[in-house]
Amino acid sequence: MVNVMKGVLVECDPAMKQFLLHLDEKLALGRKFIIQDLDESHLFISTDIVEVLQARVDDLMDRISFPLHDKDA
Amino acid sequence: MGPPKKSKKDRSGGDKSSKKRRAEDEAFTQLVEDNDSLDATESDGIPGAASKNAETNDEQVNTDEYGAKDYRGQMQLRPDHGNRPLWVAPNGHVFLESFSPVYKHAHDFLIAISEPVCRPEHIHEYKLTAYSLYAAVSVGLQTHDIVEYLKRLSKTSIPEGILEFIRLCTLSYGKVKLVLKHNKYFIESPHPEVLQKLLKDPVIQKCRLIRSEGEGFIQGTVDSKAITQFGTKLPPGADDKATEDPAGAAAAAADGAAVVPDDITDFYEKIDKEEEDEDEANLKTVSFEVSQEKIEVIQKRCIEIEHPLLAEYDFRNDTNNPDINIDLKPAAVLRPYQEKSLRKMFGNGRARSGVIVLPCGAGKSLVGVTACCTVRKRALVLCNSGVSVEQWKQQFKMWSTADDSMICRFTSEAKDKPMGCGILVTTYSMITHTQKRSWEAEQTMRWLQEQEWGIMVLDEVHTIPAKMFRRVLTIVQSHCKLGLTATLLREDDKIADLNFLIGPKLYEANWLELQKKGYIARVQCAEVWCPMSPEFYREYLTTKTSKKMLLYVMNPSKFRSCQFLIKYHEQRGDKTIVFSDNVFALKHYAIKMNKPFIYGPTSQNERIQILQNFKFNSKVNTIFVSKVADTSFDLPEANVLVQISSHGGSRRQEAQRLGRILRAKKGAIAEEYNAFFYTLVSQDTMEMSYSRKRQRFLVNQGYSYKVITHLKGMDTDTNLMYGLQEEQAQLLQLVLSASDLDCEDEKLPGEPGYRPGGTTKRAGGLSSMSGGDDAIYYEHRRKNVGSVHPLFKKFRG
Repeated sequence: MVNVMKGVLVECDPAMKQFLLHLDEKLALGRKFIIQDLDESHLFISTDIVEVLQARVDDLMDRISFPLHDKDA
Repeated sequence: MGPPKKSKKDRSGGDKSSKKRRAEDEAFTQLVEDNDSLDATESDGIPGAASKNAETNDEQVNTDEYGAKDYRGQMQLRPDHGNRPLWVAPNGHVFLESFSPVYKHAHDFLIAISEPVCRPEHIHEYKLTAYSLYAAVSVGLQTHDIVEYLKRLSKTSIPEGILEFIRLCTLSYGKVKLVLKHNKYFIESPHPEVLQKLLKDPVIQKCRLIRSEGEGFIQGTVDSKAITQFGTKLPPGADDKATEDPAGAAAAAADGAAVVPDDITDFYEKIDKEEEDEDEANLKTVSFEVSQEKIEVIQKRCIEIEHPLLAEYDFRNDTNNPDINIDLKPAAVLRPYQEKSLRKMFGNGRARSGVIVLPCGAGKSLVGVTACCTVRKRALVLCNSGVSVEQWKQQFKMWSTADDSMICRFTSEAKDKPMGCGILVTTYSMITHTQKRSWEAEQTMRWLQEQEWGIMVLDEVHTIPAKMFRRVLTIVQSHCKLGLTATLLREDDKIADLNFLIGPKLYEANWLELQKKGYIARVQCAEVWCPMSPEFYREYLTTKTSKKMLLYVMNPSKFRSCQFLIKYHEQRGDKTIVFSDNVFALKHYAIKMNKPFIYGPTSQNERIQILQNFKFNSKVNTIFVSKVADTSFDLPEANVLVQISSHGGSRRQEAQRLGRILRAKKGAIAEEYNAFFYTLVSQDTMEMSYSRKRQRFLVNQGYSYKVITHLKGMDTDTNLMYGLQEEQAQLLQLVLSASDLDCEDEKLPGEPGYRPGGTTKRAGGLSSMSGGDDAIYYEHRRKNVGSVHPLFKKFRG
């Protein structure tokens, strides 16, 4: 039987791919979402997770950047 | 960031308990530990006005979405605002246009009355604080002058709240001085009513020393004094020129297209004069004598009743302490800013205590040496490492006529005979050391305690914990104290205490201006982004915090970038220092690249040898150092600095490290930059955040950082290490098998986590102690085992 899944091709740098794999493994978003690990910098992931994932990556970026205009921080 | 607020009530409560603590301190001698209960001690010695803060004055003001505040209601724009250079906001922040024709006038004035917050190219931001106003008063500015001049410089009307704030902070300050004259202590003031008020206080009454019955105030005049000449240098014309200079500049500016309002120039000249010849007019003063034993008490009491005593030392009239015979060599020429800072210190022919802030490499030592030569009494220089003791000695020999017999070093390595010498150079830890000393050191200490020191120079004054400093003050009797530092800044805001422990900040230089004039090197700051290798990032995501740090420091692409930069600069003939806080990484990098390295356990001899080689040997162009080299390692040759790991988000460390390469470089004027400061950062890790944090201070001084995402030519260079997958995997294994101890930063004596000797405390469960945690059990402290029978030796790795 043919099984059709809608997916999105994600291109990222190798380190970021590791982050995605990490999220996938740890079920951090509630479930597995990577359909296929293509190569060093490409992943195929399910469509419906994209929004959550984007939020998650933004979150990471926020955590490692430091608010410059906030003087009291 | 204001000083901590304390209500009246818990202050007086705190004082009581702190007195008790003081007694305990004597018996109790653990210095290095920095516990929380310390706070009680640290709040005394700081007057109540210091806790006032203008920051909250504008809480009800509307703020727009970008954080801009609407002050239109409170400030009226003046019709000739175009000619005036500054805005004074109701929250105490002052903004100055640095391109204004009256910039120079305003700048000097603002430096005196406020703290610089941020000084990039065009607009400078300053902030009025209780401390800065205290400093202003102590260099001789009056409340009235401050308010008046601020009004004239401002584009708008000055908010009422600010005027109130200035009055509050300045009125009670600086009215009374503690003067040592002919070896008697006097409380002196030009305002009889203030003295009357003081004398009504029962505590002070007791301290007063009355020699004959019914004695009134001693009437006196401060005699006019010749402006202190610094050493032999100034030819008569030079000093005049300095005074005329601002006026000349003003005239030049007035001639130009922009018109400087007359009132500003007039007033500037007046203030400028006042600053220099403040007491020329034979100011009438009154004073009363106090007994020497009660000085402590009286100082404390005066602070409590909000009239902090300014300590001044009339060194010319001190006949009790012998003069020492040193002068500046004719070759020692002070730069304008050095002279200016010293003029603030010796403004009225007496020596004031205070802190002078100059960027690293701008010649702080010369300022210190000159100050000693001016006072010409016994001088004590305190610094924070054995290496800098040597450097100070050299500085004294270089700039002054002092020779070996006059300079005495007192460190654990070198103990010169102290008797009969004029200058003692030692370290903070040597003085405050509480364990048993050798007989020789004991003798020196006793001698040191018996002396009345004319001047005490405190190098890198920001580094010492307040508690250690208090201890120094209880041991050493000195008439005036000069603090020297590049970064009056601490992550824990304890810096404010220094203002009252040593004295106000007398002078702070503008880094960018010194750079423009070529007194310090022009530095290109760069942040190099190194992508994490996938394997390392994977581990980074899964491991616990302490190991994370090791992973991003040991990131192979960081290693490659580092190697690439070192190679590149070695080819250019530059001298490079590489900094790493983490010892594991330091050793690994250095050994892999076959370069010498210095860290905590490196012996003094080896250090000096490595440094000498770095200076003079053309084959040694790169050295690796841990944070022992952060401060006062004088390496004038170095012009490239690479930072591979650092202490979290410490701004001070960043600035101090930059300071290592700031010393002005000879030649190479053609190039835009003559020094380079690289920070290697592993992408997508916490390091990015730290790096931003660290940069704040230098950004506020006007430096800009260039972000390099890709080093050109690195990919094609096949000689770099860790290019292959297997090598990287090996490195990863090495990192993973490292113990928890390796993950930590190096601890130096005086830091909270430091433990002397070989014993170390490891955090973690029993399983990790026995090697049950990860893969390999790693034994470390092998060297310390000491007495092993020779038979067994060969079995040990």
